[in-house]
Amino acid sequence: MQSEPLLDAQGQDEFLLGNEAVARGLYEAGVSVAATYPGTPSSEIGDVLYKLSERMGIKFEFATNEKVALEIAAAASSGGLRSFVFMKHVGLNVAMDSFVSLSGSGVKGGLVVFSADDPSMHSSQNEQDNRFLGKFAKTIVVEPSSPQELKDFVIKAFDVSEEVGHPVLIRSVTRISHIRAPVKLGPIRKKNEWSYKKDPSYVLLPENAYKAQLSIAKRIENVSAAKYQTRFDAVYGDSSTLIITSGAAYNYIDEALQMLKASARIMKIGMSFPLDLERITDEIRGAERVIFVEEGGPFIEEQVLQECALHSINKKFYGKLNGSVPTSYEMDVDRVASFLSTIYGIPFNTNKPAATIIPEREPVLCPGCPHRASYYVATLAMKQLGIRNPIAPTDIGCYTLGYYQPYNLGDFCYSMGSSLGSSSGYAMSAKERVVSFIGDSTFFHAGIPALINAYHNNHNFVLVILDNSITAMTGGQPTPETSPPFRKVDIESVVRGIGIKNVYTMDPYDLKNSLETFKKALKSDELAVIISKRECALEADRKKSPSETKIFQINQDKCTQCYNCIKNFSCAAFYFEDGKVKIDPELCDGCSVCTEPLVCPFNAIEVMD
Amino acid sequence: MVSIVFAGVGGQGVITVAMIIGRAAVIEGKNVLMTELHGMAQRGGKILVEVRIGEYKSAIIPANTADAIVAFEELEAVRNLKKLKDGGMILLSRRKIHPVSMTLRRQNYPTDAIEEELSRYNTLNVEADQVALSLGNKRVANTVMVGAVYSTGILGLSRESIIKAIKDSLPERYWDINMRAFEEGQKLLVTESAKAA
Repeated sequence: MQSEPLLDAQGQDEFLLGNEAVARGLYEAGVSVAATYPGTPSSEIGDVLYKLSERMGIKFEFATNEKVALEIAAAASSGGLRSFVFMKHVGLNVAMDSFVSLSGSGVKGGLVVFSADDPSMHSSQNEQDNRFLGKFAKTIVVEPSSPQELKDFVIKAFDVSEEVGHPVLIRSVTRISHIRAPVKLGPIRKKNEWSYKKDPSYVLLPENAYKAQLSIAKRIENVSAAKYQTRFDAVYGDSSTLIITSGAAYNYIDEALQMLKASARIMKIGMSFPLDLERITDEIRGAERVIFVEEGGPFIEEQVLQECALHSINKKFYGKLNGSVPTSYEMDVDRVASFLSTIYGIPFNTNKPAATIIPEREPVLCPGCPHRASYYVATLAMKQLGIRNPIAPTDIGCYTLGYYQPYNLGDFCYSMGSSLGSSSGYAMSAKERVVSFIGDSTFFHAGIPALINAYHNNHNFVLVILDNSITAMTGGQPTPETSPPFRKVDIESVVRGIGIKNVYTMDPYDLKNSLETFKKALKSDELAVIISKRECALEADRKKSPSETKIFQINQDKCTQCYNCIKNFSCAAFYFEDGKVKIDPELCDGCSVCTEPLVCPFNAIEVMD
Repeated sequence: MVSIVFAGVGGQGVITVAMIIGRAAVIEGKNVLMTELHGMAQRGGKILVEVRIGEYKSAIIPANTADAIVAFEELEAVRNLKKLKDGGMILLSRRKIHPVSMTLRRQNYPTDAIEEELSRYNTLNVEADQVALSLGNKRVANTVMVGAVYSTGILGLSRESIIKAIKDSLPERYWDINMRAFEEGQKLLVTESAKAA
């Protein structure tokens, strides 16, 4: 890319990813401080800031977890700076303890929390609707629908936050954050000056927390006024059917109505907590039937129906609460047209005969991935020691793919760090041997307190820290091991610092030595930690020139068709054709691990000429 | 108004091709939406990118409405057929990337089933890799593909905008070879239709 559109002057349209538009919005809004822990679908905001924050005059950092990130932003805001914290939806669970306190203290400089939800769970463990968390924590909630609105709402959210003195939660979703569209760039605002004054409302001991309840209620009441709400909302169309909608779901309605040749009055809500219920009920009074179309839970629907109940407004209501609108998974034009067709009583059929049943393409570890070598050796060591049915808690990262065949090493995975808490539980309760897996970034994020628990309470299991020195699954962000310019935190020192003696650091590419290490650890009668250390293959590839990469192939004369390489090692570059195993030269990474006798005892895998 | 599905496997440059077309639309002041899905694998997973040029709000293409599928892998072309409208075309750069689950089960690539599906549509093969190699750099296969898509005329975008979009996306030292790749790509479909005729 030649130009740097995100820094360019105002006025022009740029083809931006939703998350890039957010980053540009921060620049335009005069934000001074931003922090995050990487999580899809929010990661690209951090990628932009990592590259450009200095030139934008924004102090930005990848924090060890979302709670730390949120506290960084809260502190900056207390001194009058505009500050921003962003994460994927489940990251807000990690930040929750302090998130709930934000509304109690209120804010000085505008403070905006950004959550990218993931309906349909494209890369997540659930599809929680964080608007409910915003309401629970008594923050203002706004919902953009497009990349342009992401940028605009960031700026408006900062304005409202500062005007009212209250935090704002922006709820995005995959199909907004990960959409590209033309975005008009606007002017860059000046940043606030640091102007810190001591304020007891930031110290939420009971006396102050008690008082805070009243000021929270007052600020929320202020912001429910039309003058704030109308900055975010849009109403159009003339019909006795009123559709109340928000966020990504809004994008599908016009086209669905066109397909059905039907009409509706559309009320697009941009600020969904608090709501300007007076204006909404006015609209409802003028309609014959009301349909709520939201992605996620019945968030607006519940608030509005509650208000209608209080004022005895009786209309025909359709939504998630009466089963007219599906409650799970992301929306699209077909789904919206399908339930609208039932409500309107207009026939609609999207079904096209499906193609021949086509094989699924599961996500896989990359060729050359060090995790593959670790899983292969772990499986082999257990087989050799006769450990038949281990329980293998795993964690959040690329290595979660160890769950799939042929490794089958993934028996418990709830959330960041859950491999380690559950390992204590299994070690306490189970008869099976417990072998758990966690990545380096996840270990720093939420693994350390749980490892201290395991050591302190004398739980016996084997922990494998798969250390590729990067946050790989979200696109290669730094970790606390990354240096310079940061200070490097050494995992082995952290583990030994707890007091754990049984610590082994190994290179997973060295299969023979790794196998012995695993066996030693597995035979141990107390907690053992293996640090399997090897750089992410994608990172290593970026550093080497293509000419340095050796490509391997199978010498069919030597191959005995034992299939160990595809049955147990299972590199994504191998394929099967007419009884033979072959290597796709375009996919081979040249790591050479498959040439080791522990994978191919017949030395049939050779360098290609 | 045009809707195109781009399909392939992670690492093939599917997103790059869609990006160039999207940028060209923005250069012409048109509305364009692009959405991508790539799951949790960094490489080797299925990639689906949808591009819509025109006054759309939904980036996701409804079933049975896409004007074309531009595919970089055979199985992935077939996987997304439900989006293709009747009479829509498939531009296919021939490549077989075996799903690991099939290799584990020692299954051959499902070539016959794929050919049967493809034969029901107007499928045009684009020899993007071969052309790129003949130009001396296999990485320009994506630009060859852009040329092929452009030559169908479905984009409704000018040559100049696409050329500017390619240049905006690349360092100057790669402009020459990519311009040649774009030109060569445009010739491929002519040959294909001649063959078909």
